[in-house]
Amino acid sequence: MRKGFALAALLAGLSGQFPISHATGWNMPVGVSQVSRDVYDLHMIIFWICVVIGVVVFGVMFYSLFRYRRSKGAKAAEFHEHTTVEVVWTAIPFLILVAMAIPATATLKNMYDASEADYDVMITGHQWRWQYDYMGEDVTLFSNMSTPKAQIAGTEEKGEHYLLEVDEPLVLPVDRKIRLLTTSADVIHSWWVPDLAVKKDAIPGFVNESWTRIDEPGIYRGQCTELCGKDHGFMPVVVHAMEQEQFDAWLAERKQAAAAEAGGVDREWGLEELVERGEKVYATVCASCHQAEGQGLPPTFPALAGNQALMDDLDRHIDVVVNGVSGSAMASFSGTLSPVDIAAVVTFERNAWGNETGDVVQPADIQALIAP
Amino acid sequence: MWDVIKSVLAAFFGVQQDQRRRKDFEQGKPGAFILIGILLAFLLVVIVFAVALMAAG
Amino acid sequence: MAPQSPPKATLEHSQSASGSATADGFQEEHHYRSGPLRWLLTTNHKEIGSLYLIFSLAMFMIGGAMALVIRLELFQPGLQMIQPEFFNQMTTMHGLIMVFGAVMPGFVGLANWMIPLQIGAPDMALPRLNNFSFWLLPIAFTLLLSTLLMPGGGPNFGWTFYAPLSTTYAPPSTTFFIFALHMAGISSILGAINIIATILNLRAPGMRLMDMTLFVWTWLITAFLLIAVMPVLAGVITMMLLDINFGTSFFNAAGGGDPVLFQHLFWFFGHPEVYIMILPAFGIVSVIIPTFARKRLFGYASMVYATAAIAILSFLVWAHHMFAVGLPLVAELFFMYTTLLIAVPTGVKVFNWITTLFRGEITFETPMLFALAFVVLFTIGGFSGLMLAIAPADFQYHDTYFVVAHFHYVLVPGAVFSIMAAVYYWLPKWTGHYPDERLGRWHFWLSVIGVNLLFFPMHFAGLAGMPRRIPDYALQFADFNMASSIGGFLFGFSQLLFIWVVVKCVRGGVKAPANAWDGATDLEWTVPSPAPLHTFETPPDLRDFKFH
Repeated sequence: MRKGFALAALLAGLSGQFPISHATGWNMPVGVSQVSRDVYDLHMIIFWICVVIGVVVFGVMFYSLFRYRRSKGAKAAEFHEHTTVEVVWTAIPFLILVAMAIPATATLKNMYDASEADYDVMITGHQWRWQYDYMGEDVTLFSNMSTPKAQIAGTEEKGEHYLLEVDEPLVLPVDRKIRLLTTSADVIHSWWVPDLAVKKDAIPGFVNESWTRIDEPGIYRGQCTELCGKDHGFMPVVVHAMEQEQFDAWLAERKQAAAAEAGGVDREWGLEELVERGEKVYATVCASCHQAEGQGLPPTFPALAGNQALMDDLDRHIDVVVNGVSGSAMASFSGTLSPVDIAAVVTFERNAWGNETGDVVQPADIQALIAP
Repeated sequence: MWDVIKSVLAAFFGVQQDQRRRKDFEQGKPGAFILIGILLAFLLVVIVFAVALMAAG
Repeated sequence: MAPQSPPKATLEHSQSASGSATADGFQEEHHYRSGPLRWLLTTNHKEIGSLYLIFSLAMFMIGGAMALVIRLELFQPGLQMIQPEFFNQMTTMHGLIMVFGAVMPGFVGLANWMIPLQIGAPDMALPRLNNFSFWLLPIAFTLLLSTLLMPGGGPNFGWTFYAPLSTTYAPPSTTFFIFALHMAGISSILGAINIIATILNLRAPGMRLMDMTLFVWTWLITAFLLIAVMPVLAGVITMMLLDINFGTSFFNAAGGGDPVLFQHLFWFFGHPEVYIMILPAFGIVSVIIPTFARKRLFGYASMVYATAAIAILSFLVWAHHMFAVGLPLVAELFFMYTTLLIAVPTGVKVFNWITTLFRGEITFETPMLFALAFVVLFTIGGFSGLMLAIAPADFQYHDTYFVVAHFHYVLVPGAVFSIMAAVYYWLPKWTGHYPDERLGRWHFWLSVIGVNLLFFPMHFAGLAGMPRRIPDYALQFADFNMASSIGGFLFGFSQLLFIWVVVKCVRGGVKAPANAWDGATDLEWTVPSPAPLHTFETPPDLRDFKFH
């Protein structure tokens, strides 16, 4: 009858569609690593077990409903207990579940074995972007969603990778064991890429471990999966897997850029270049809470535009950005933004939206504050 | 005592003959069933944990 | 739980059960005030039961309206109707209101009405406490709803309120949320104490524990679960209160606290809470199916044992909600194994219901339709639960719409359908009239179609990679969400029909006799319909009564 329809739809939907290698269909993606394929197999085994049990159980049920209707002249039987039957139908599910637990245990043990990794990447969740540190390589990336606001508001046509695109993807080499260490700077986030079958919570004060070994070059997309506040729906994860040579070249280029950036701290910066750089930093880091025009979302996120108390006190302004405000949503940015970026964003905030203080904050002063 | 354990195990398994159940409810002491029930529940935790430890290697 | 069996032959004052109820019932009415104060001060279990049920229905509609706001926003990709801040408040309030305001009080209302009637007791054991437990609820939920109007808005951290999002990063109204939850918790604990005291002490002479209906049994076990876990909830929200207002760092990593501790405490409460919301449903279905199959419940004792086994196991599975937090491998395996174990007694229940149907004499009145839909759809929710128990696969399912589909199948066509089945089943006893069968069937079929269209596509959305609790989504999830939204509106607006059926039944309809359903055998069907305000003031004579 109709209630069986749901099951039939599930059967039709899934059997007609797999295998699917990317997260775009009706079923779990098979993915691009041995672990993701193992997980997919477990998923399909337990699914078919459920289907078989469902067919038997609902079959008996609908047969009874059809056959023993009063309108067909059925008369109720008297039995109400049968120990053997009850023992059998308790024992069979138990045995099925034991059989299911064995491969699940093996896969889980494999997923937990992050030893002997070729690369270590530290993943730090922030409200609302991801930070990737290539450990031992002095390369750090910040990964922000790059979907334009106009697409979300519907004033512009939505692109192919709507909400699943970032400015800086996590770049990884294929065929290498990558250890992923997850943590958070503020609330709990969760880092998930379906094609890798890696989902790990990023928890402040904890470092969680997981790993992957990607088989095919490609771009794999996922999202934050733990509610982390207002923009939880807008912090995608994008992994760009490439061949080792390409990866090496990319890494070398990044190292160079990082070294050049460090050199920028020592020189004297002008108001205009700081404001220009600060505007970009503000848009990616600060605007999600304090809003595009600095109007904030009181009471949780105070306004910056026209905030006279803050504009009168430059040291306080720098202190808030560098050290955060304990007990509030304002994080410390000394570890996540470079001294140049902090100087730039503070300068920008003090010279935008009618805040015309004319103050210029030098990166060298911030550097002195962070590492005296 | 053994009867109580058997009855509690039957309860864990979820199947019991009507006669035995009747006997338990007429002759058994509730305290004994509760005590054995708690002990066996604890034992269940220990066993499952031991299995998990073994499986984890 | 004293397995007492008072000798059945010692009743000296016995009269026929229904006779005694009618004779005494109407003489007592002068004890009661008239006007609104009567409802404020009533200590009568039937009136308090009705208050609980009306409250539950009101919360169901408010929580449902919030769900429709969510489904409206998710109808298409993009942000059309509401902003993410408000969306998060809607998901949070929807969950809190449905769990603590609609489902739990709904079951308590049924317990209030039916437990005394099913065990032959004149009232609940502690009538004044009963009044107090009810009136805490409207106050608690008024406070909770008022947070939506406060600066910074209401709770926006999900109904699981994980710290530190719910502490350091929470809106200022969180303290009010904590007080509201404390009050709801106290109400539940007091209600549970009352139910246990009633069942253990006020059974009619001659009714042994194993003579009780499954509804009474499941509620007895549920009440013990409530007493065991509501204090844990109270503890964890008190720790939140201290973190927010008094500078402690229970869950604040920067101060040496542990955000994962929050989740352990929450789910040590939360998992038994899941069973608190489903065990009474098992009881209701176990009462309704035998009535309309005209056949004794198959494996009564097994059903009782399976309920007890589920209750015990429910304390041992909490961390399966936390497979992704980075538990040690051994803990991960332990919780996977215990979670698989709990499927066994749950399966036994389904098998027993189906075997009760086998070789019965079945008719399909509205309560039976809802009970049968419960069996099928709850089992589908059970299947997805089994899939979620497989820890490696759970890494893919966790916190996606697959989970949303799973627990909504268990809670909506599970718990909520069972409450609706119970309402249709007992309305003749409450009002003296049969509910309109034709409208009831319309309500049933619209609800079944709506609920499946609403929740079934969520399985696919989740498997395809859509996280839960997001106000906007990538384009490949668009079709699933549109189907869900259409189903949501169909299901939501069908419930207006339910209200109309209930109102119509209260106001009139085909008169129901004392035993409204020809297959019903339990004790409540020996008192007249509608049940007089006072029943069983002298205990019924059960010497010749045939139990279940």
